[in-house]
Amino acid sequence: MAALRTVSGNTGMISLFLLCVIAAAKSDEQVPLVAWASDGFALSPVNAPSAGHTVSVEELESHLNTALRTAPLSVDDFTLYGGVFGNKQDSVFQNLEAALLSSSSLWLPSVSSSATALVSTLLQNQIDAAPLYMNPDTLAQLRLNASVAALLVFRLPYSGGADMMSTKEVLSGNDEVIGQVLSIMKAQSVPYTAVFTALWPSRVIEEASPAVHSVWSRSLLQSRREEPTATNPPLEFKEKGSTCILLWAEKLVVSQYRSGKWERHDLAPKTFGEGVEPNLSGSSCNETHSRLVLNYEDVLNYRSFKLIFVMNRRHYKVSARHWFTMDLVHLEYDGKTATFNGSRYIYAPAEYSYRCESVSSSRYPQLSPHSDKDNANDWQISLHDFQIQGFNVAGKDFSYASDCASFFTPGIWMGLVTSLLMVLVLTYGLHMIMQLRTMDRFDDPKGPAISVPQTE
Amino acid sequence: MNGHAILYTGVTLAFWSTILIVGICYTIFDLGFRFDVAWFLTETSPFMWANLGIGLAISLSVVGAAWGIYITGSSIIGGGVKAPRIKTKNLVSIIFCEAVAIYGIIMAIVISNLAENFSGTTPETIGAKNYQAGYSMFGAGLTVGFSNLFCGICVGIVGSGAALADAQNASLFVKILIVEIFGSAIGLFGVIVAILQASRFLKSMFIYISSTLALLNMSCCGQKLNVCFENVYFEYI
Repeated sequence: MAALRTVSGNTGMISLFLLCVIAAAKSDEQVPLVAWASDGFALSPVNAPSAGHTVSVEELESHLNTALRTAPLSVDDFTLYGGVFGNKQDSVFQNLEAALLSSSSLWLPSVSSSATALVSTLLQNQIDAAPLYMNPDTLAQLRLNASVAALLVFRLPYSGGADMMSTKEVLSGNDEVIGQVLSIMKAQSVPYTAVFTALWPSRVIEEASPAVHSVWSRSLLQSRREEPTATNPPLEFKEKGSTCILLWAEKLVVSQYRSGKWERHDLAPKTFGEGVEPNLSGSSCNETHSRLVLNYEDVLNYRSFKLIFVMNRRHYKVSARHWFTMDLVHLEYDGKTATFNGSRYIYAPAEYSYRCESVSSSRYPQLSPHSDKDNANDWQISLHDFQIQGFNVAGKDFSYASDCASFFTPGIWMGLVTSLLMVLVLTYGLHMIMQLRTMDRFDDPKGPAISVPQTE
Repeated sequence: MNGHAILYTGVTLAFWSTILIVGICYTIFDLGFRFDVAWFLTETSPFMWANLGIGLAISLSVVGAAWGIYITGSSIIGGGVKAPRIKTKNLVSIIFCEAVAIYGIIMAIVISNLAENFSGTTPETIGAKNYQAGYSMFGAGLTVGFSNLFCGICVGIVGSGAALADAQNASLFVKILIVEIFGSAIGLFGVIVAILQASRFLKSMFIYISSTLALLNMSCCGQKLNVCFENVYFEYI
């Protein structure tokens, strides 16, 4: 819809252009919004939003005088096609720029798309006028009354394709429409405020995912979160009053393959958090064996659901120290059991805790089904930012965390070995070359010089 | 200090200081448990080992052959100035050195044919057989490479002596050639052992080589030694 709205203001009528395309939009997408006013009318000064801030519905309402929406629009479109790289003549927004330069304007680069969807409603509420949907031809025929507020909404044409060229053409077409509308408004000497925005972005900027992609790669831990969220304390299992097992995970996702798709359930909210007391009955720990049983109800349509971690501590002669391994992870659901082996990767010296960014049975699996026929083949476990300690727990804090990511990856080691070999070969070769000497045994500086006759 | 001293002290210093600093870091951070040779051996790809074996097989053999030819060749050329008759006969020594390089390339091709793709990303799924294959190929390449390296040098030095002795006294050549043959045999030992390492089921290859040796022996049996080797020489030519 495109809406032209006029609002009675202090100095006259303000017409508002509102162009938008109706579409369902995800609430977390961002669209830009440009607003400007005709000569002689100034938008109320507002503080420009800080970079990266997404304007919400309430804020938009407070900013709002007009809205003008178009086909999918992104900040990138302004950058790409706006002639900002010194090529002013290539800009597709000639009319828009002229309008912005001639009057005061408001630029909100990132407005939540749910807010822009409500712009026409907000404007209606503000000026108590129903929107009129028009295009430039009908506008030319319309006689606007300068004393009455009106809301005019212009829908700017768009194409659904993601093709670059057509986007440019679309935007320049939109700009022409804007130019026509503004010139008509100017001819009729109607003061207006215009808003140009969209209902959904043409380009979705993917949020930089802070999660690392694999267990074996590294990232700065500090760069993972923009706003540090308060972390929950670890889950403690106490036996005879003293803490025996500690567990922490950011996400505890169990999935079962049912009727052709995976059904997931995150157990972390039921396990960690303020005031969350999961049922740990069945857990036990002693010097050599620790067993943590987490009991849940009504998970994935199973009445009783248990997640069991089984850890063992043994002495290994060759390294002459105690190590603990997470031998098995059980899932018990309504009497049936699925078992995963974990001793291959989940191990640490018994004095330390084990921590890993991702312990799962699917990607870079650290857990594997106990056997080919085990129920575990239909299940997937995925534990994020997982830390566990089953022995040598002192107090409620983890001991030093032995991380699953090593300092040098196998690839780095292979490169180092091969490079070392090359360096040795190079050294050997250099040695040989450097010991080449010209024979000077028969050199006689005082004797006659050698003459090489040109002719035979 | 001359260039050699600088080079060797530099490399040695870099190597030992790396080892020392890494060891100190492991110790003071109590991360000694992270030093895991088994992890290194199971996580590195068997392909790396196999290809290192193939590369070493051919390259070390060629180094040995080249070194031998360079030593013998310079002696033949030098001696040939005053005694041109030695030129043709002493090419046998060059051929013995060249044979070493041929052993190397044959083994490299044999070993590379044994390398196949495997499926599996974790040590369990890769399986013990694939690891064995990788390490065997590495060992085989190392075996044939080093034995050919020293065989080539040996044959080269003996051949150089043979050329110079031949220049002085023509009857000495054949006697010295016997020494050269023994030197050449040690390269063959390396090839045989490498084949045994690389593939227990390629007994046929072993049989083939030993049969050619036996044939050679039988064809020369009953003939005078110099005639025998002239036949061999002409066969190559």
